[in-house]
Amino acid sequence: MRVYRWLVRLCPDALRREYGAAMEETMARRLAAARTAGRWRTTKVWWRESAGLVTLALTERWRQLVSPKHKAKVEPASPKPIAKAGARQRMLAPPKAGIMDTIAQDVRQAARRLTRTPVFTTAAAATLALAIAANAVIFTLVHRVVLNPLPYADSERLLALDFGIPSRNVPSGVQVMTWQLYHQLADNAHTLDGIAGYYGSGATLTGNGTPERVAITRATPSLQSVLRVAPALGRWFTETEGTPGAPSVAVLSHGLWVRRFGADPAIVGRTILIDGVPTPIVGVMPVSFTFPRTPVDMWLPAQSTRASASFLFSVQGVARLRSDTTVATARAEITNLIEDLSRRAPNQKSLVSTALPLHEAVVGTIANALWILLAAVGLVLLVACANIANLFLVRSESRHREVAVRRALGAETRRLARYFLAESVLLGVVGGTLGLALASAGVRLLVAFGPVNLPRLSEVRVDAVVVIFTAGLSLLAAIAFGAIPLLRLAPMTATLHDSGRGQTATRGQHRARHVLMTAQVALALVLLVASGLMVRSVQHLRNMDLGFDPTSTLAFGVSLPERTYETRDRATSAHRAILDRLNTLPGVISAAASSSLPLNGANYGNGLIVENELNDPSQLQRQFAWFRAVSGRYLETAGIRLIRGRTITQGDVDRREPVVVIDEALAAMYFPGKDPIGKRVRSAAPANPRMPTPPWLEIVGVVANTPTATLTAPPLPQMFMPMSIAGGPDIPAPALIGPDITRMSYVVRTTHDPAELVGASRAAVEGVDANLALAQVRTLQEAVDRAGDQMMFTMVLLGVAAGVALLLGVIGIYGVVSYIAAQRTGEIGVRLALGAEPTGVTALILRQSAGVTMIGIGLGLAVALAGGGLIRALLYNVSPRDPIVIGAVTLLLTAVALVACWLPARRAARLSPLEALRID
Amino acid sequence: MRHMRTTDTDPAPGLGELPFHILLALGDGPSHGYAIGQRVEEESGGRLDPTTGALYQALRRLTAEGVVTPVATPVEVEPRRKYFAITQLGRRAVTQEAQRLASLVRAARQRGLYPGRA
Repeated sequence: MRVYRWLVRLCPDALRREYGAAMEETMARRLAAARTAGRWRTTKVWWRESAGLVTLALTERWRQLVSPKHKAKVEPASPKPIAKAGARQRMLAPPKAGIMDTIAQDVRQAARRLTRTPVFTTAAAATLALAIAANAVIFTLVHRVVLNPLPYADSERLLALDFGIPSRNVPSGVQVMTWQLYHQLADNAHTLDGIAGYYGSGATLTGNGTPERVAITRATPSLQSVLRVAPALGRWFTETEGTPGAPSVAVLSHGLWVRRFGADPAIVGRTILIDGVPTPIVGVMPVSFTFPRTPVDMWLPAQSTRASASFLFSVQGVARLRSDTTVATARAEITNLIEDLSRRAPNQKSLVSTALPLHEAVVGTIANALWILLAAVGLVLLVACANIANLFLVRSESRHREVAVRRALGAETRRLARYFLAESVLLGVVGGTLGLALASAGVRLLVAFGPVNLPRLSEVRVDAVVVIFTAGLSLLAAIAFGAIPLLRLAPMTATLHDSGRGQTATRGQHRARHVLMTAQVALALVLLVASGLMVRSVQHLRNMDLGFDPTSTLAFGVSLPERTYETRDRATSAHRAILDRLNTLPGVISAAASSSLPLNGANYGNGLIVENELNDPSQLQRQFAWFRAVSGRYLETAGIRLIRGRTITQGDVDRREPVVVIDEALAAMYFPGKDPIGKRVRSAAPANPRMPTPPWLEIVGVVANTPTATLTAPPLPQMFMPMSIAGGPDIPAPALIGPDITRMSYVVRTTHDPAELVGASRAAVEGVDANLALAQVRTLQEAVDRAGDQMMFTMVLLGVAAGVALLLGVIGIYGVVSYIAAQRTGEIGVRLALGAEPTGVTALILRQSAGVTMIGIGLGLAVALAGGGLIRALLYNVSPRDPIVIGAVTLLLTAVALVACWLPARRAARLSPLEALRID
Repeated sequence: MRHMRTTDTDPAPGLGELPFHILLALGDGPSHGYAIGQRVEEESGGRLDPTTGALYQALRRLTAEGVVTPVATPVEVEPRRKYFAITQLGRRAVTQEAQRLASLVRAARQRGLYPGRA
């Protein structure tokens, strides 16, 4: 009752003052009367009354809004009898109906009819709300992630500089270039309106508070003009700050500014310590700015000039296409410029530009998955609409006599159409509103708990476009299932001649139902097949041979500031000291370090030259190799499987032995069919008389392949060298033979839960240098799980869609068969009375619906097989026509559907013949 | 029934069903919301079953048009209950409507579409 009282408050004041108390009292009595009839009746009455009250409140408020003069009319008039004829006329006739009033009346009547059948209304509204919610959520993802342009000005003209090496079978996807190439393009590319280079790194922030590891992007000063963004406070880098040797400055991200500096408005000009280097802050970026896509804490200038440009592939590029050219023209020009450059720098010879719009590069493969998910929930909506249409069919048929009478008395078809459509549209509005509310909650859950590497996840939210889409979809659905009874209006003129209820179902009506049933089964099958294929993909992903053992390992990064550790040897000693401490911790089986862990990205790479093949022109036709600098026992600690030879030991590191261990992919690529052990290779640096050529390294072992960036990409050839011979701050770029070891990733294998060792590891690191901090603390198992996130996400959503479609389909089949069986009760009664066996009757009913079901399954199979190619991009190691999945799904759906047909058939046959005949 | 003409000079459509039943229910004397609702349901054979909201909305309308008037609540009864009575104008409206319906029934009888003497 309290709720009812609260609902009464929704009514306009005048109404409430006059009648509020009386309405409450009447309601209380009605409830009391209903309670004697049982809980079911009480609930029905309650729902009906509440709905009626809400309708009343809404219509009264609408009337208030629309016609203020109406208000005067409905004020309680004085009870004096008015004797004028005109007044009598006015009183006896309701006020002249305007179009809004007619619609309001239709809506009110429709609402009344709907509240009178609460089971139907609730079922229809709930089904619609769920289906609409699913569509709205996926559409939000598609709209904000795939369709929405990136948050930069004129973002369609931004290009991500991507390259391929067709001669080495790498069609595209090489995202790094050399500084030499950057300057070449910056100076000579006419199709580009500006180019910027950037690369990611990290550093330790000290000086006010605990030392904190921050994610840094180093970018050229040109980034501002390419992206056309301006800092919210202060300024971006100047040209001079982008030259080597210039003092370093920093631009903060909004997040870091708020988090660490409390949104201090006087931040510009303050100096902070980055890796021990005092760096003045010159600007803060706006809250909405993020580049590149992963969260960045601050930007520092990338310092490079043509003269000092290195030939190492270490920088990524983004450019703005000039307004009057195309991507194809730009690609051609860039490829030509690379040709030109490669005369001086042969290691870039085979590069070909595959530059693509930045939007495509960011959104990547998720676009495919999202479109497929949208199609899937669209199918679920269709199944839901089929169910609701069936419900409407039943409703309209039970009212056919009433409608036929109205028709005969001259009601126009248009009026009758409004009669039916009002109900379905009202249902659509209710279902759509509920669906939108559910979707908002769903989107918020998604953003909070969704896969972390879903691109642009932070931009996902319900906005005006989503609301309009939802409204449009609800309306469309409403018209679709509202139109079904309308289509059945035509044959209804015949129904007036019928006597009893039993004969009213015509073959046409059965056919409509059967068509809907077939459609539902087919759609459910398609979704189940898609879902099954995804499940197998995820299974394969989980069972794949990773090449390393991620269990029970802790991983974190340590970055040695160049200021304190200016030489490679000092860095090696520091890492050695940390590892020694880690290895003595209780519970640690072994600890080691590498410049790059599996699933950490490709990182440092270059061409390789094999000894004694100098004269082979196909020498440089091979793909890059990716170099890793490691400490002793790294391969064992990471659990990377040794196949031949031996691993890198601590002795190799201590003695700076010129040895390497390669993986199977590199062996297959550079030494096909031969034993690589004992052969020598070196990094392919361009000939430079002033610099010593990189030394030859002897191959001492072969290990299994390990994934670099994603789990599903083909393995890249990798090479492991002792860290003491790799790169360091004191080694000039042209003389580098391996990655810079000031930044290393540590792996600690433990006997028990790795998380317990975080504190001790931190203490070990700080024990060597209190200014060091751990970065990206994680377990390797987490990294593996996260890499499979996107696929899991897609699988879960498809699974849910398929499950819902199956449920709706089963309900639909059960409902249809029940209805048809009920229609045939008379016939059943006659048969039973004439001595037919109940099982025979069951079989009779079952035959028809089973036949329809099988047609649906056949149709679904055809669609699933034909459309398999669409889903191929999402699968891993599974063919879209995988016979196990298709077979299993078909069996499952057939079994379930047949049970759903059989149950109502059996129930119908159980009637005694007398009952059956009496029902008619 | 737009093509049927009433015998009255004014071509306005007749009194609505629910208002007519409400006035009928009040014919025996003043009554309150709950009882009116009961009677309407009985007398319409279950076809009309207005929710509380719809019922009071109709009562409000009828009060505004002067065919029904609120009257004082008897003292021994729950004070929240609101009682209504039919007015003279209301009686005239019922008469008019009943006459209209009677003439329709007569016409149907004359044409042999409805049993009974015309």
